[in-house]
Amino acid sequence: MNAVLDAVSLLLVLAGALLCLSAAIGLLRFRDVTTRLHAATKPQVLGLLLICVAIALSLRSWPVVAFLTVVVLVQLATAPLAAHMIGRQAYRNGTVDEPSLYVDELAESRETPPGAGG
Amino acid sequence: MNPMLMAIYVAFAVAALLTLWRIVIGPSILDRAVASDVLLTEVMCVLGADMAINHHADTLPVLLIIAAVGVFGSIAIARYVARRDKGDG
Repeated sequence: MNAVLDAVSLLLVLAGALLCLSAAIGLLRFRDVTTRLHAATKPQVLGLLLICVAIALSLRSWPVVAFLTVVVLVQLATAPLAAHMIGRQAYRNGTVDEPSLYVDELAESRETPPGAGG
Repeated sequence: MNPMLMAIYVAFAVAALLTLWRIVIGPSILDRAVASDVLLTEVMCVLGADMAINHHADTLPVLLIIAAVGVFGSIAIARYVARRDKGDG
């Protein structure tokens, strides 16, 4: 039983590592900030989730599971914050490849309202 | 050595090197912010993989701290980056 759990945990770690690798390849291959952001969020959420499940299967203790739950929840709460801020700033910066957009819902709100910072 | 461990190590190493290359070549500061975020996530994943492979729980608090404060770097960069960067920065 323990050997099976260890093997499953290794498989999950391998999946997380491959997600990190795919994010890195996406960072190099995609052409502007927002598409690279799309690649970057894969290991941030799914990769870390898989690896946390792998840790729980490998250590098999409830305190560790409780700790990992907090880690995953914090990561799920903070990853969209950074992605949102960077995506918004990329749009205003002009680092988005605009001819490739099908729908541009932000077109009329291009101007930053005064006092909004960024 | 276990071939699966080898595959895991190689995947992490190649991912970190490719991400570092994106940080080096840019082209804009936001690309570097995204790439450094990914590098930080890879550090978390490597710490977690170490715990899962070697059966210890020593670096769990590090994982929590990185998850909690790692986001502020990207937010600060996105907040204070220059308005017109045009990708040549």
